[in-house]
Amino acid sequence: MNKLNNSQGLNIPENYLVTPAYVFFLIHSMQVGVGILGFEKYLVEKAGFDAWISILIAGGILHVILWMIYRLLQNGGGDIVEIHKSIFGKYLGGFLSLLFCAYFTLLAFTVLITFIEVIKVWVFPGMHVWVFAFVLLFLVYYLVSGGFRVITGICLISVIIGLPILLLKYFPVEAGHTMNIYPAVSHSIPGILGATKQSILSFLGLEFLLIYYPFIKNPQKSKKWAHYGVFYTTMIYLISVLVTFVYYSEEQLKQVVWGTISAWKIVEFPFIERFEFVGIAMWLYVVLPNICLGLWGATRIPKRVFNVKQKYMVIIFCIAIYFPTVLIDGRPMIDVVNNLSGQLGMYVLMYIPVLLVLKTISDKVRKRT
Amino acid sequence: MWKWKRKEKQQPEKQQQTKKQNGSLSEFIQAMQQSEDFVHYKLSGSTRCTISYLKTMSDSKILNRSVLSILNSESLHTLHDMRERIPVENIRVTSKLELIEEKVMFGYIMVQIHEKDEEVLLVPAVSLESRDVGIPEVEFSVVGPKEAFVETLNTNINLIRKRLPLPQLTVKETNIGKVTKTRVAVVYIDGVANKDNVETVEQRLKGIEIDQLTDSSFVTQVIADNSNSPFPQLLDTERPDRVVSNLVEGKVAILVEGSPHALTCPTTVVEFFGASDDYFLPWHLATAFRLIRLFAVIFSVLSTPLYVAVLTYHHEMIPGALMATIVSSRSDIPFPPILEVIVLELTIELLREAGARLPTKIGQTIGIVGGIVIGTAAVDAGLTSNVLLIIVALSALASFTTPVYQIGNTIRLIRFPFIIGAQLWGLIGVSMCMVFFIGHLIKLQSIGRPFFEPLYPLRIKDLKDSFIRLPFNKQTERPVLTRSEDTQRMNPSRVNAKRDIDE
Repeated sequence: MNKLNNSQGLNIPENYLVTPAYVFFLIHSMQVGVGILGFEKYLVEKAGFDAWISILIAGGILHVILWMIYRLLQNGGGDIVEIHKSIFGKYLGGFLSLLFCAYFTLLAFTVLITFIEVIKVWVFPGMHVWVFAFVLLFLVYYLVSGGFRVITGICLISVIIGLPILLLKYFPVEAGHTMNIYPAVSHSIPGILGATKQSILSFLGLEFLLIYYPFIKNPQKSKKWAHYGVFYTTMIYLISVLVTFVYYSEEQLKQVVWGTISAWKIVEFPFIERFEFVGIAMWLYVVLPNICLGLWGATRIPKRVFNVKQKYMVIIFCIAIYFPTVLIDGRPMIDVVNNLSGQLGMYVLMYIPVLLVLKTISDKVRKRT
Repeated sequence: MWKWKRKEKQQPEKQQQTKKQNGSLSEFIQAMQQSEDFVHYKLSGSTRCTISYLKTMSDSKILNRSVLSILNSESLHTLHDMRERIPVENIRVTSKLELIEEKVMFGYIMVQIHEKDEEVLLVPAVSLESRDVGIPEVEFSVVGPKEAFVETLNTNINLIRKRLPLPQLTVKETNIGKVTKTRVAVVYIDGVANKDNVETVEQRLKGIEIDQLTDSSFVTQVIADNSNSPFPQLLDTERPDRVVSNLVEGKVAILVEGSPHALTCPTTVVEFFGASDDYFLPWHLATAFRLIRLFAVIFSVLSTPLYVAVLTYHHEMIPGALMATIVSSRSDIPFPPILEVIVLELTIELLREAGARLPTKIGQTIGIVGGIVIGTAAVDAGLTSNVLLIIVALSALASFTTPVYQIGNTIRLIRFPFIIGAQLWGLIGVSMCMVFFIGHLIKLQSIGRPFFEPLYPLRIKDLKDSFIRLPFNKQTERPVLTRSEDTQRMNPSRVNAKRDIDE
């Protein structure tokens, strides 16, 4: 058991805990979502074909933030709610925690609508979103109601199933021109940094550690797994970006919204063509952990703050997400939501160092008194 | 509210029980005399006594040779004298009505000195009609032992014990079933099986509220962690060797009187796809066959849904050359793929069900007639396409490759949600269905242990004997799943001791 469990609501029985190694899957599968299907375009707009450097920089920054999160949680006594309470007191702390809840919900919502958009664009243009969203959210409810262990399992399965999809990168490389990447580093530093900011958005998701930290057995040992997770994500992004750059020309890529999916189109086997259908269907496995963990994290915060039952919260949140999902239509609105969640994610990432500083100060003050 | 209702229900039950206890032995005899096969008469030889027994349950040889001959030739006046003289083991003198009732019903001979006496002598003379130990029919294997369990609990335990001559092999019995009072035995190796597992099983068995227990499958359904799941959460097998190897791994077995199947737990979904044959073959072959079986199961579940998905929504996915074949075979068919598939799947289910109910020889004929005649006729009539017929037949064949019958049933059933999913949203529907089942499997538990192990929780050690089977010298530890109290199977350093050349 975790020795930091001293407050009510954080005493999690041993059989609900997961071993440290799963943090790798939790972090990685939460980071990789729908973004990877089409994030190349936004990077290229800023930094051209030098965007791969931005990915590396962003990965490095994320490692630092991850280190901060662990520092924060180490002496924090549990999760973000506990930390907020100890720094800001019951009311302001609770309010800040609820902001996190809203942010987590927004992340889940963004992933959901973007995935539905992908399906509408690529597979079923005339799909009835209200039926599909209902079934999908029911599925999410079924998984989330199984608790954190089930969600971790889904994360694990998602990473395993995602692996063969990665092998498909071979086809665009075979068809592409490696000379596209050269000359390396031809863009200005502000351009590259701008793309770095863009690419950090694709790395969002590790802040969920703030809420599921108490569910890890021997959380200190999970540190290295978390870092492996971020590193693995960086590598996958780097490979995807490089492959996309090899396959498309710079000007062409600026026109392509879903770079990765378009690249799947050329995959060809003797018995199967047009692999994007399979790819999108398999992408459900990559998307679901995002939505599930997002909703789980979002509903756990009210449970911790108000001491309400999480199962009712999940139903309420599913319904709350359902209606906007049905109503939202068209790329512009989805872009707005995506930008909003990206902005918020950026703030959350910037908030973590601030929180760490505040926490250290308050700890020191308390020690003196 | 429910508790209150339950309490109310329990009260009359208690009253009944007390009434029973108040009844006397003579009332019991009176009740029994209504049956024709109850024999009750006075013996007026050198020993005067009353003998009663069920002639359909008692062995007349014991009665004639050991009981009557002694009673007639010697003059015995107390029950204790009789117990000394009658050359049958385990004779009891008792006045407990419950015990008397139970034993007489099982075929014991009851001897009283006077008819009104409450104290009786019980002579075991049980004659059990049972089938001989035969060869396994459901889980047949080409090589390896060919003994299967029968309907008698004692014989079944004998089959296990003779393979495991250990003092630690523990057999605990209880009676379950309000009406049938069926004997149920929990078998495990003390010191190897995890105590919590044994306790969980015993507690769940104790908690069973049921009137009749005619087969072990009742137990599977009642004590399952999630009884609404289509997946069986206890492995049932008719092979004593399989039970023994499970016991040695640290699992717990449940045997039920009257059932030729043993249940073992905790189990995992992967275990259902392993056959005993796998251990009788060299490990590479066993691994290959296991993978073939796994592929067969995946194929069996997914092939028709994929057919529906691709032909309804994603024609583009099929390469041109292959498309020509499918189009030419489907051009005359008036139905959409979903209807075609459902009709053909139901036909196959029909054949299977009919074949299973009929005697073996007719069953085979029906299978051939139905399969070939109906299949060809349906294609000729233009109701289904050749391609689909091949797919459906193959998937039916593939579903038979599972060594455990129970999971075969599950596989038969779960493809229908997939077909519906495929009709709704094509490949995405199929993968949604898949996520649902994976989530369900992750949620499932067998006696409190994860059912989807070793995939989740991911346990590399247990993967050695799951989808693949590594050689025995690589499996020096018991599976993590069983949480065995003695994790070492054998001494790994001695097993894997390296020898130099020419040593």
